[in-house]
Amino acid sequence: MGGLTQVRPGSVPHGPAQAPAGSVRRREILVAYALLTPAVLLVLGVLAYPVAWEVWISLTSFASRAESRSFVGVANYRTMLADAFFWRALATTVVYFVVTTLAKLAVGVALALLLARPCRGRALVFLAVFLPWAYPGGVTVVAWYWMLNPPLITSYSVAVGHWKHAVDGVAGAGAYTFASVALFNIWRGASFTAVFLLAGLNAIPRELFDYARLETRSAAQRFRHVTLPLLRPFLALAVFLSFTTAFADLANVWMLTGGRVIFPVVGTYAYWLGIRSGEFAEAAAWSLSLVPLLLLALAVLFRWFDPPREAPA
Amino acid sequence: MAQVMMKDLNKKYDEVHAVKDVNLHIRDKEFIVLVGPSGCGKSTTLRMVAGLEEITAGEITIGDRVVNDLPPKDRDIAMVFQNYALYPHMTVYDNMAFGLKMRKFPKVEIQKRVQDAAEILGIQELLKRKPRQLSGGQRQRVAVGRAIVRHPQVFLFDEPLSNLDAKLRVQMRVELKRLHERLETTAIYVTHDQVEAMTLGDRVVVMKDGWIQQVGEPLELYGKPANKFVAGFIGSPAMNFVDVKVADANGALWAETQGLRVKVPPIHTSRLVPYKGQQVTLGVRPEDLQLASGSDPSEYVFDAVVDVVEPLGSEILLDLRAGNSTIVARVEPTVRLKVHEKTRLALTPDRAHFFDLKTELAI
Repeated sequence: MGGLTQVRPGSVPHGPAQAPAGSVRRREILVAYALLTPAVLLVLGVLAYPVAWEVWISLTSFASRAESRSFVGVANYRTMLADAFFWRALATTVVYFVVTTLAKLAVGVALALLLARPCRGRALVFLAVFLPWAYPGGVTVVAWYWMLNPPLITSYSVAVGHWKHAVDGVAGAGAYTFASVALFNIWRGASFTAVFLLAGLNAIPRELFDYARLETRSAAQRFRHVTLPLLRPFLALAVFLSFTTAFADLANVWMLTGGRVIFPVVGTYAYWLGIRSGEFAEAAAWSLSLVPLLLLALAVLFRWFDPPREAPA
Repeated sequence: MAQVMMKDLNKKYDEVHAVKDVNLHIRDKEFIVLVGPSGCGKSTTLRMVAGLEEITAGEITIGDRVVNDLPPKDRDIAMVFQNYALYPHMTVYDNMAFGLKMRKFPKVEIQKRVQDAAEILGIQELLKRKPRQLSGGQRQRVAVGRAIVRHPQVFLFDEPLSNLDAKLRVQMRVELKRLHERLETTAIYVTHDQVEAMTLGDRVVVMKDGWIQQVGEPLELYGKPANKFVAGFIGSPAMNFVDVKVADANGALWAETQGLRVKVPPIHTSRLVPYKGQQVTLGVRPEDLQLASGSDPSEYVFDAVVDVVEPLGSEILLDLRAGNSTIVARVEPTVRLKVHEKTRLALTPDRAHFFDLKTELAI
């Protein structure tokens, strides 16, 4: 450590006093790079390399059945964009995102506001609210799957069957599946959103709410003009997290539909293509098609959860 | 414009009895300061007036209305908080206009009031900025402006200057005083800083452990503290306390302890007679001690050794030891004494205080 402290940036070098300033500076730069190296290697290894590899794959004809792998340019993307199924999957994904996000925010904000007020047994309520998120996903998914698609013949399963037919009859085939996947996502995500927003609420100075109580005429006014704007950065982050889970959702959809792709979001179909069918190149193209959307969402939401800071006067 | 009455006011949380039987009559246009160490119940009292805390027992009247069951918005008060409580997502103008907007005032009226308040406080050119672009002092001004635009019956201040640096605090203190003279609105001001309390308050309420210790004008508290706590809390450096025995000798009463023996001043004699042979607490303010000169009557003079010298420029604070007691004296800046040097101190007899050892009440 003794050697390191001498080259800490900004510190006055107190090494050999005879060394010319230039060599000290050079040594500082070298050490800085040395210290950076592990981080750079990590980023390159776990982020840059896989992404680059995937981009490359998507530009080839790589597939388990193909005899050779050759560069095909953007052919995979062209096929994908011409595929009506892709657009349907994308539309489903977007709807899935919008519906679940709105519901999660509504439920999450409501729960957070309720949890924020001190009351007896608050810890227990908190635990109950957080449980859907904390409990292992695999187990809960199976429970939901059996609840919505009972594996045994009982009067319940008959009722659910009728219900399913009714829903699909009204809203089109796959509607029941869509609803159940969305419901599961909301059930699980709302609990996380609530706890997340509760942390946000607690981070806001109490005086801001005190002042609102003195100056506003109703709770609704308070919510609209004070609570929501103050929560905005947290809401934006919640939307972004919901966005990534909805767009990259594979596990929940996969398990809830029993591995059948009757609920084609982009993520599940990419998995189907790649792992089940061995169409690696096409699968890569499908999953990469989400990247522009994610970047766009990030660009928009980032301004919300980290608003630009004007220089202080 | 309104008076505020608190009658047998109490606040209990689960286990804490935060405010105990507070009775206070705040006159119309009065600037009253609640002061005390943290946890003394001053902020809780203020928040009960604001309606931010429920009243456990007792009654609060603002003007001629009992406000116990009135929601905060209907109490016609405006509050300034320690951390300013400005909304970061709104401009200064919107922050100042907030209360009026929520109450659906006409736009023209809002604009006029905000402009007027901004002018009074000299923040006209800040109206379009966001709070984070302001300095601490500017933010505090906005917070005050936000209260002014409401034209309330009572201003409530909850440690509004505590977050400012020392210099700015003194400056804002003067401005607040000037503002109060101009607006003539009843104000209740909470602080833990006794200097703020003394300089701002028409009257000062000293609180401790939920009880009111004393209510009075600043110099009254200073000159005639009701008990040892008030005596020690008001004034800086704090009053010196020495436990002494009241002894009868040569037809006079003496206050004595090891290494210190002074005569009980005539004004106290009659009241101290019942304490003959008992222990009491002698209180002397640092400014009521001077280096003894030949003309000082010897019965009020005692020996001391200098421990620490704190030259402040306008005065010198001496920490001294007299027998087993530690004593602070505030002396002329021309005094030249060194550490460990022996000296003789004289106390001003009329300004000595005596307190009952058990009840701590002034004798």
